[in-house]
Amino acid sequence: MSELKVTFTVEQIAAYADASGDVNPIHLDDEFARSVGLPGVIAHGMLQMGLLARVAGEPGRLRRLSCRFAGMVRPGDTVTFRSEERDGHVELTALNQDGQPVLTKATAELLLPDNP
Amino acid sequence: MAAFARAVGADPADGVPPTYAAVYALWATAAQLFDDPDAEVDLDNLLHSEQEFDWQRHPRVGETVTSRGRVARDVVRRGIRFLTFETEVTAAEEPVCRSRALFVVVRPRS
Repeated sequence: MSELKVTFTVEQIAAYADASGDVNPIHLDDEFARSVGLPGVIAHGMLQMGLLARVAGEPGRLRRLSCRFAGMVRPGDTVTFRSEERDGHVELTALNQDGQPVLTKATAELLLPDNP
Repeated sequence: MAAFARAVGADPADGVPPTYAAVYALWATAAQLFDDPDAEVDLDNLLHSEQEFDWQRHPRVGETVTSRGRVARDVVRRGIRFLTFETEVTAAEEPVCRSRALFVVVRPRS
């Protein structure tokens, strides 16, 4: 089992926006986010998935990764990403500080290490 | 790529982070969909609902890949539009990665 606990920040979300090119203002501009009915800026789903990939397994062995973006993540939220591997199949979870899932249907497949 | 790795808390020395596929596969092609008036995708009401990546292998730093995207499915149910967008990524004609994104477009209440 592998676990990663991350408290999201405005700075991390802005850094991901810059690096990924996804500069949708719902991730960067509080006022704009509120104008479209959100409680304020939210983290990119793909930033959450990027963190999920880190617990899924060794990057080079990752052959499939999928998830559903089920809940909003806001700056200040703490998300715990967990993985459980069995024979290359990985079950993944991502729960916020209230125990609510932010990613669901999250699974991965890993290339099995070569037999010695 | 290094900035992307750091933004997801990975070490750039470990190579291309798997979900850098969001850049070279997903958004490289989906951006064209949003810019196409015929596709009628209202970005303000668009939610990225599901994402799946399959890799034959991960691209290397400095490698050039080609990404081709297409709308695989586009249906409206109870006023909600479900749009499945698939991208095939190749390098030197060999498959590298396949991305499948489900977008949900919620019609604004009038």
